[in-house]
Amino acid sequence: MAALLTLNEVEVRRGMDVVLRNHHLSVSGGQCVALVGANGSGKSTVLEVSAGLLPLEKGSVLHGETTVIDHEGRRRNGPLTLGLTLQKNGVLGSEVVEEHLQMACSMGGTSTEAAPFLEAFNLKHRAKDLVAHLSQGQVRKIAVLSALLPAFASDEPCLVLLDEPSTGLDDDAVKVLCEWLSVLRQRGHGLLVATHDQRLLGQATHLHAVATGATEPCEAPKDHPEITTPSSPSRRCSPAAFGVKTHFQTMLWLNSNGMAALLTVGILLAMGTFYPNLTPLQQLGFLLAPAFAAGLCGEPLVAAMREERAASWWMAVGGGVPHAGGMPLMIGAVVTAGASVGFEEPLNGLHVLVGALLCFAVWHGVRFMQLATVRLARPHAAMVGLLTPVLILPYAVLVDWLTR
Amino acid sequence: MASAVLFVGFGGIGASMLLALLWAPSVSIDAFESPAAQRIFYWHVPAAWAAFIAFGALFIGSAGWLFKRSDRMWRLHVAGSEAGLATGLMTVWSGCVWGAAEWGTPWDWTDVRLNTFGLLTLLAIYVVLGRNSQPDGVETRDTFAAFGLYGFVLVPLTYIATRIWTIRHPGPVVGTDDGGSINGEMGLVLLFSAISFTVLIVGHMMASMRLTDLEQKLERLQVQTDKVA
Repeated sequence: MAALLTLNEVEVRRGMDVVLRNHHLSVSGGQCVALVGANGSGKSTVLEVSAGLLPLEKGSVLHGETTVIDHEGRRRNGPLTLGLTLQKNGVLGSEVVEEHLQMACSMGGTSTEAAPFLEAFNLKHRAKDLVAHLSQGQVRKIAVLSALLPAFASDEPCLVLLDEPSTGLDDDAVKVLCEWLSVLRQRGHGLLVATHDQRLLGQATHLHAVATGATEPCEAPKDHPEITTPSSPSRRCSPAAFGVKTHFQTMLWLNSNGMAALLTVGILLAMGTFYPNLTPLQQLGFLLAPAFAAGLCGEPLVAAMREERAASWWMAVGGGVPHAGGMPLMIGAVVTAGASVGFEEPLNGLHVLVGALLCFAVWHGVRFMQLATVRLARPHAAMVGLLTPVLILPYAVLVDWLTR
Repeated sequence: MASAVLFVGFGGIGASMLLALLWAPSVSIDAFESPAAQRIFYWHVPAAWAAFIAFGALFIGSAGWLFKRSDRMWRLHVAGSEAGLATGLMTVWSGCVWGAAEWGTPWDWTDVRLNTFGLLTLLAIYVVLGRNSQPDGVETRDTFAAFGLYGFVLVPLTYIATRIWTIRHPGPVVGTDDGGSINGEMGLVLLFSAISFTVLIVGHMMASMRLTDLEQKLERLQVQTDKVA
């Protein structure tokens, strides 16, 4: 049977330094491999590379027999269920605890009851709360559960990656976590844990020294009694489904895209009755301007998902960064229809359709530009807005073409 | 060396401008709305030519970094983007002045060459400002090198724009099958100006590459000092 995780001669650069050079690592089912080394030795880098989050200068990363990323930039989702806890928690403050855990669990296509796990972590009474209302330690517990629950729900071997999972956890919680790691290992899942915590190191079957790349077996950890975790099939939550849900919960779209459209309509209407005196080309240009403005604001979720590196978590586990999906179609159609009413123009189905498609295309075009800067150290400072005028020419050509 | 080349370039451009204003013949009054403003052409066209050289360097530097991981190619990327920004702004600014006098408007959203060139300049602004906002590292270099490659798609489009869509911008006046449409003296001054701009932009890029090299050496020394401390 192939290893659940294989790093083949991996070389990774961060900043101007080569952090990993010709690095090899393998994690099989039933193994708990602990990454050890001093601060800055590259433990988190190994973990993020294993999750397919960092580009490689050389080598490849395999989940099972499938290459998830290689040095030529090829990237695909692995066939395995992946549980992941990064150094940051990867959870948005606007999420409800119970819903987040169910969503994380669904990534493997199965679900299990989260309540016993919340109870063991002394969080059952917080199940219906927003993550933003929890303490740092409590959010860390949720982040750890997000990685463990998919494995507990799965009958197939899973890969679980944990980066400093015990940081901020109280002693009781660490003790429970050690038991869970043991149970998951006994069930045949593969665990990779970056930690300095001696209690977690006691659960390891192998120690991997990141600085030297050497893996040594260690004394067999004590087995713990099995835990019953009934599971049932579950529909996987897609980035689009999560994105639309988050948009409706937080109303992010109204704050940026919606307001841009409303302000555009408002400013045009405030100019008086100039509209009937315009040429057909100018009239259509003004009619579609609110939908265009809404799209130009891009995807507000891209900025929101930087909170606690939620975007990275989604890219590794969910296969993409959450987005508004088809929502821009609806917003574009509504604001174009609204602009028609405002300009006292008969409602034209073609114009509404074009407004919807325009908003959708521009919204996702700007999102593409926004996502192009996610690797940067300071993505918010990269001024992607400077690139948006590239969309004005296609807009002008579209309006010109429609009025011929 | 770079300083000498820059000095020659500046001198050549100064001489070109003197020749353009004092010696080159005026264009036909009938053909132009604003014949006096036409003389800006001796600045506008060579600046655009120099911008294409700079954007070419940006493309080569970007590709060199992405495919070869060459520090020298990264320095070329930096130099090309800065030179592209400078010459792009020279071209756009002079074009707006000329357009205002000749067309009655400084900008025409329906003119493909004008807009694609404007976008190229905007891309150069983005690459220069965006890169300066980030710490140097492979993530920064990969991201902005990728933008450098995307932007180069606009160069051939901008170059052929007036051959495909002649709206406001005049068609090509040199390098055409009929031998061109400008007279000898005008062509001579234009050629001299284009050579001067080429020398200037080459000098600019040499100086910029040297500066980036020194910055990289300083960065390495700082890292070594950190380790010792």
